[in-house]
Amino acid sequence: MDRRRRRPESRLPLRPVEFHILLSLATGDRHGYGIIRDAEARGAAPVPDVGTLYRALARLVEHGWIEAAERRPAADAGDERRNYYRIRPLGLQVARAEARRLEALTRAARAGGLLRAGAS
Amino acid sequence: VTDVGVMTASERWFRLLLRLYPQDFRDDMGEAMVEAYVDRAREARVRGGRASVAGVWFSALKDSLRNGPGERAQPAARWRRGGNWGRDTELAFRRLARSPLFVLMLAGTLTVGLGAFAVVYTVVDRVLLAPLPYEDPDDLYWVWRNYTWFDFERGWLGGPDIAELRNAGGAIRDVAGMQRTQPTLSTDAGGEPVQIAQMIVSPNLFGLLGVRPFIGRDFAPDETGPDRPQVAIITHGLWQRLGGERSILGSEIRLNGNPWEVIGVLPRDFQFVRNASLGPAQGADVFVPYQTHFAEMNPGSGSLAGLLRAEPGTPPERVQEAVATVGRYVDERDHDSRGLQLYAVSAKEDLIAPVRPAMVVLGLAGVFLLLVLLVNLGTLLLARAAQREQEFAVSRALGANPLAVVRATVLEALMLGVIGGIGGALAATWGTRVLVGMAPADLPRLDNIAFDWNIGLTVVAIGAGIGLLAGLAPALWAVRTDLGTLMGSTRQRGSGGRVRMRRGMVVVQVALSVVLLTAGALVVRSFSGLLSVDPGFDAERALTLTVPVPGTRYPDADAAYALHGRLQAELAAVPGVSAVGAGWTLPLSAGSSQTSMRFPGAPGNTGSDEHDNPMIDYYAVRPGYFEALGIRVLDGATFRDAVAPGFEMVIDRTLAEKFYPDGTAVGAMIPLGDETARIIGVVDHVRLYDVHQDGRGQVFLRNAPGSLGMAYGLSWVVQSERTRRAPALLAADVTAAVRRVDPELAVSNVRTMSEVLGESLSEQRLSAVLIAGFSLGALLLAAMGLYGIVAGSVTRRRHELAIRMAMGAEHGSVLRLVLREGALLVALGVLIGVPGVLVAGRVIEGVLVGVSPHDPATLTAVALGLWAVAMAACYVPARRVLRIEPGISLRQE
Repeated sequence: MDRRRRRPESRLPLRPVEFHILLSLATGDRHGYGIIRDAEARGAAPVPDVGTLYRALARLVEHGWIEAAERRPAADAGDERRNYYRIRPLGLQVARAEARRLEALTRAARAGGLLRAGAS
Repeated sequence: VTDVGVMTASERWFRLLLRLYPQDFRDDMGEAMVEAYVDRAREARVRGGRASVAGVWFSALKDSLRNGPGERAQPAARWRRGGNWGRDTELAFRRLARSPLFVLMLAGTLTVGLGAFAVVYTVVDRVLLAPLPYEDPDDLYWVWRNYTWFDFERGWLGGPDIAELRNAGGAIRDVAGMQRTQPTLSTDAGGEPVQIAQMIVSPNLFGLLGVRPFIGRDFAPDETGPDRPQVAIITHGLWQRLGGERSILGSEIRLNGNPWEVIGVLPRDFQFVRNASLGPAQGADVFVPYQTHFAEMNPGSGSLAGLLRAEPGTPPERVQEAVATVGRYVDERDHDSRGLQLYAVSAKEDLIAPVRPAMVVLGLAGVFLLLVLLVNLGTLLLARAAQREQEFAVSRALGANPLAVVRATVLEALMLGVIGGIGGALAATWGTRVLVGMAPADLPRLDNIAFDWNIGLTVVAIGAGIGLLAGLAPALWAVRTDLGTLMGSTRQRGSGGRVRMRRGMVVVQVALSVVLLTAGALVVRSFSGLLSVDPGFDAERALTLTVPVPGTRYPDADAAYALHGRLQAELAAVPGVSAVGAGWTLPLSAGSSQTSMRFPGAPGNTGSDEHDNPMIDYYAVRPGYFEALGIRVLDGATFRDAVAPGFEMVIDRTLAEKFYPDGTAVGAMIPLGDETARIIGVVDHVRLYDVHQDGRGQVFLRNAPGSLGMAYGLSWVVQSERTRRAPALLAADVTAAVRRVDPELAVSNVRTMSEVLGESLSEQRLSAVLIAGFSLGALLLAAMGLYGIVAGSVTRRRHELAIRMAMGAEHGSVLRLVLREGALLVALGVLIGVPGVLVAGRVIEGVLVGVSPHDPATLTAVALGLWAVAMAACYVPARRVLRIEPGISLRQE
C-alpha cells in the first residue's frame, strides 16, 4: 500500500512474531492458527500468543507486506470461517532482508567463537 | 462436564477476554482469534486433559491482558479507527500529487488572492490597527482650536492655551506644545549646509511620550524660556548623518547660523510626527526647547500643535470636558468671549483620519476578494469530489465512518489552503515592498509598513481557514452520497444535489464579482477623473526648489531681499529657463497662512457675516511666480519688479467671483490690518492642498521688505523653455546657479512640479491600482467557475444532447441551449449583486471624487463587461457541443 517505496532494510530488525508470519506465508497462504503451528514446528521459543499474532497480522496488512487472501488453499476447504493471509512482494523482500541480516549476524557469531561451526 | 461443555465454556471465556481489545480490532480479528484459541484448547485437551485446557485459559488471559490494552494504546491499523492524521495527510498528499495541474491552478489562485489580501492587510493593520510607538498611546490627544465665528474648525493653539491646559490638572496629566520649522544646518565638520526639519518643543515632550534619549540626556524642565542655554536633541538618523560618534554630545550644531549644543540622541526606533492644522503630519530631525514661555505668547496668533496626555485610563469624554473647560476660560480671558473652543482628538484617530476612508474601502475589498476565493475554491473542490463519488459511496457502503470521509476531503482542501497561504505570504513579502514604493510619502506611519512573520502566519491561517470552509461543501456532499443513489445514476454521472450546489456557488461568485467590479470601476473612474483635473497651474514645465536663508548671514529683510534679487537674476540666466519666481509655498504643498478677511464696498457682499468675512489662504510671492507656474492671469496684472508706492495684492478667481461678480475687482482698495492694499490683478484658482477639491479663496501679497508679508527662505520655481529642456534636466544647473550666488546656501526639495502633482495623487493611485487588481481577480475567478459549470454540463448532458441532435436539432440551437444555462446563472448573480452594489456604493462614497456611487454609466459598463466575459467563459466549453457526433455518442452508451 503506502509504504512500498521504502527500502526493505529500513524496516529491520523485525520482531520475532513478524518474521514467523512472513516465513510461514512465504511457503503458502495460511490462517492465523496455521502460522502459530508453523512456529511451534520450527521450535520457536516462545511461541507467539494469539493476541500478539493477530495484532502483528493487522500491522503487516497495514504496512502492505501481506494481504487477506480471497481464496483458501484446497486442502483447508472444509474450514469456511477462517481468514487466510498471503504474502505480498514487499513482504517477501523484507523477509529476505531480515534473513540476510540474521545470517550475517550468525556468521559473525561463529567467527567470534560464540557458536560452534556447523551448529544451527 | 462434558468435553463439549468444556469447549463451549472455553469459547465463552475467550470471547469475554476479547472485550479487552478495542471494538474495531475485535470486529476485524475477533472471530479468527476465538477460533485460534479454541483450536489451542482442543489440542490441549487431546494432549493433556482438562488441566492443560486450564493452562490455555490462563495463557489466553495473560495474552489478552497484555495485547488488549496494548492494541488500544498502540493500534496496528490506526486509520480505520479514525485517528491517524498522519496517514490521512499522506494519502491526501498523494492524491494531490497525482493531479499537479489542479494543485497548481488552485494554489496559484490562492497565492495571488491571499498575497493581495496580505499586502492590504499589512497596510491596513499597520496604518489603522497597530498601536502608535509611544507609551500608552491611547491616552494621547491632539488639541485644536475651533474658531466658531468663522469657518475654521482646526486651528493651531496659541501659547496661552497650552499654558492654561497645563495648569488645568484633573484628567489632563501633561501637555506639550510644538512648532515645526526648516532651518539650515551646518556643523564645524564642514560639508554642505543642508535644510533639516526642526521641532521647537516644550521640554516635557519626550517625558510625555515616554521616550528616553539613546545617549545623553533629556531636556530639564526649566530648560526653556529666554536666556537659557541653547540645547538640542537630535534623532538617531541625523546623528548617523553627522558621523554617529558619541563625541557629538556637547558639540555644537548651527541652525540658521545659531549655535546649539547637542545634549542627547534619540533611540533608533523613535518615530514622532506632529499633526498639522492642515496638511499631512510631519516629523523632525532636531528638537530644541522654546525660548519663550507659553503664557507670554500672543494669544491672538495660533501656531502651535498641542499634544496632551490624559491621566491613565481616562475616558475620552472626560478629557474632552476638561479641554473644553479650559477653552471656555481662555475664550473669556483672551478672546472677548467670541466663541473660541478647544477640543481634543485621540492621537491615532487624528493621524489616520484622512486615510481612513480609503483604508476601509481597501480592507473591505480585500475581504470580498477572500470570499470570492473561498467560493471559487469550494466550486473546484466540489467538481473534484465528483470524480471520486464512487470511491466515497463504496467506502461508505463498506461501513467507513462518515467522519473519516469528511476528514479525508477536508484535509485535502486544508492542505491546498495552507500551500496557498504560504505562497500568498511569500508573494506578500515582495508585494509589500512594491506597495511601499508606491505609497504616498505622507501616508501615516509608512516606515511602519513591513511584512513580518505575524502577518505571514495570519495569512497562512486564513489560507487554512479558507481551505477548511471550502472543503466543507464537497465533504458534506460526500457524506450524503450513498451507494444506492450512485448505482441508480450510473447512466447519468453526477447527482443532482452536487450540480445544484455548484450552480449556487457560481451565482454567489458572480454576485460578489459584480459588487467588487463596480467598486473597482468607480474608484478607477474617480482616479482617472483626478488625473485630468486642471490644478490651476502648468505642472509640465516647472522645476521647484527650496532655498532657506540663514539669519546669521542675512540678518535683516533688506539683505535677504537683495539676495532674492540676485538669486532670481542668476536662475533666469540658466540656459533653457524661461521664467523664474518664488514664494512662501508651492501649490499642493499646504504651506499658506490663513486669516479671515473682508472686502468692504465690494458689490458681492450680502450683509451676512458668514459670507462677507470668509477664511482665506494667503501667502507672499515674488514677481514671476505666476508666470513660472503657468497660472493664468484673468484680469489686471501681477507683481512687477518695480515696487509701486502703496501695498498691492492679487486675488484668485474664487474671491473675484464671490465679491466682484461684475468684474470690478482690479483697483479696489482693501483694508489689511492697519494698512490698505490695492487689488492689481485676478489669477486662476490654484489647488493648494489637494488636487480633488477647491480650497478657500486666495490672496497673494508681495514678498518684499516693508510689505505685509516678507519671508526669507522661499520656494523657487523655474520654468523650462517650452521646447528646450525637460525640467528635471535643469536641476544640476539650477543648484549650481544658487551656489554661485552664495556657496553656503542650502538647496533642498529639488523636484519637478509633475512629481509634486504625482505625489499628491499617490494615495488615490494606490487605491485605484489595488482595487482594480482585486476586481479583475474576482472577475477571473468567476469566469473560471462558469467555465467549469458549463464544461461539466456539456459532459454530463452529452447523451441527451446527442439524442437531440440525432432527432434533427441544429448545432446552433443545441449550443444556445447550453449557453442559456450559463446565461441564467450570470443573470441571477447580477440580480443578487445589485443590493450589494448599492451598499458598497455608500461605503466607498468617501473616496470617490466627481463620480456618483450610483453612476449609471459605470454600472452599465460593469454589467456589460461582466456579461461579455461570462458569456465568453461559457462559450468556450459550450463549443464542445459542436464536436458531438450523435451516432458515435449514442453507440458509446
